[in-house]
Amino acid sequence: MKKQYAFFIDAERCIGCFTCAMACKNQYHQPESVIWRQVYPIKEEIYPHRERAFYSLACNHCENPTCLNVCPVVAYAKREKDGIVVHDQEKCIGCGNCIRSCPYGVPRYNPERKKAEKCSFCWQRIDAGHKPQCVQSCPVEALQIVDLATFDKPGAVQYPPGFPKYPKLNPSVRFLMPRLPRITGREDI
Amino acid sequence: MSNLELPLVFFTVLSQTAIGLVVISTLRQWAVEGPTGSIRGEWITASAFIVVGMAASFFHLGHPFQGYTALKHLDKAWLSREVLGVSIFMGLTVLGMLMAKGRINGVVAFGAALVGLTTILFMGMTYSPPSYPAINNILPLVFFLITAMLLGSSFATWFAPVEKKAWLTRILTVTLIVGVVVYLIVPCVWLSGGAVMAQTGWAWIGSSLYWGRLVIGLLLPLAMIWMTRDVPVWLPVVILLGEIMGRMVFFKDTLHAAGNLGGLY
Repeated sequence: MKKQYAFFIDAERCIGCFTCAMACKNQYHQPESVIWRQVYPIKEEIYPHRERAFYSLACNHCENPTCLNVCPVVAYAKREKDGIVVHDQEKCIGCGNCIRSCPYGVPRYNPERKKAEKCSFCWQRIDAGHKPQCVQSCPVEALQIVDLATFDKPGAVQYPPGFPKYPKLNPSVRFLMPRLPRITGREDI
Repeated sequence: MSNLELPLVFFTVLSQTAIGLVVISTLRQWAVEGPTGSIRGEWITASAFIVVGMAASFFHLGHPFQGYTALKHLDKAWLSREVLGVSIFMGLTVLGMLMAKGRINGVVAFGAALVGLTTILFMGMTYSPPSYPAINNILPLVFFLITAMLLGSSFATWFAPVEKKAWLTRILTVTLIVGVVVYLIVPCVWLSGGAVMAQTGWAWIGSSLYWGRLVIGLLLPLAMIWMTRDVPVWLPVVILLGEIMGRMVFFKDTLHAAGNLGGLY
């Protein structure tokens, strides 16, 4: 398998502090309505506990990206060297087809530039040998970057409950599910 | 698609009206015997619909003056193919209108009809992305074909001779019945699907536009045809209004998969 960077989301560690989302905003200063990384609480039907669990999600840099396939002006490209999906703002005409088509709701419309935009995996930082800003900022190391060509963490899944399954797209993201807190009773001793 | 997308509502409905009108006109001229009626007027109307529809489509672009670059991804993007199809259809329809003398040249007429129907296929593929589980299938194509046949056959009654009114009324009646069945059944089927599909079903059923579209755009015309055994001159406008309401529901109340992130799918 070729090198493919991916976000690894350890939902067991994530405390839902939104630092990753804030770090992304601080890096790129998007308008208020434009969100590249969002922290989604896992609903009670999946994680039935009064303490909450979270998925921090951004672009999944899919192996077969819908945004790239549907864009009529070829504004999207997938980098050969690491699989990062990059959006070229100069080519974008703001038709919104990528926004409508991505099942993970990743591309957003920037009302100031009248163009779509999305998480770039901080490719400029990657090329300079740094981590993406969201990964860099996570205080509990719940968000990491991995190379799927070598990634082999036990228990990691691609489609946890609460994350839609699209095998044709093959999203480059892996999760570690949160465990429910365990109450030790007399019978356990 | 969770946004009203009015420019796309008018673009899709008006361009499908033009395609339906051209297909019906071509069939009436070349596949059915008898007088043809006011062909030139019919093609002028079709040209007006497609030109206005095409103009409306530019309003949904952030950068309309770069709209021509949408033809760059013909090898993969259905939207690029749709833009090409609509452009060729518009060219052929305007050419047909300019050449109209009694009948339209057969090559131009059949060419326009064929390109128009192919364009509806492209539209069906463009508006069935994986992000909308309820319509990530053949349904958009079915909806668009119903729109084209409904509006094409109803507006054609303005230009058809008396001898062919009954033929058009039959086509319109059958399409209205198909439309009622499809639009009543589809949201009910969605209710038994996955979470987002079921949410879409409830959103449609709870929408006044959906019921307005059923009553004004389908049931009222059916009742009028049943009572008068004819297509009143105002009926195509009512059907057009119903189709616009139906397309608003399509764009506004069809729910995106990302809306349920963190919940069960």
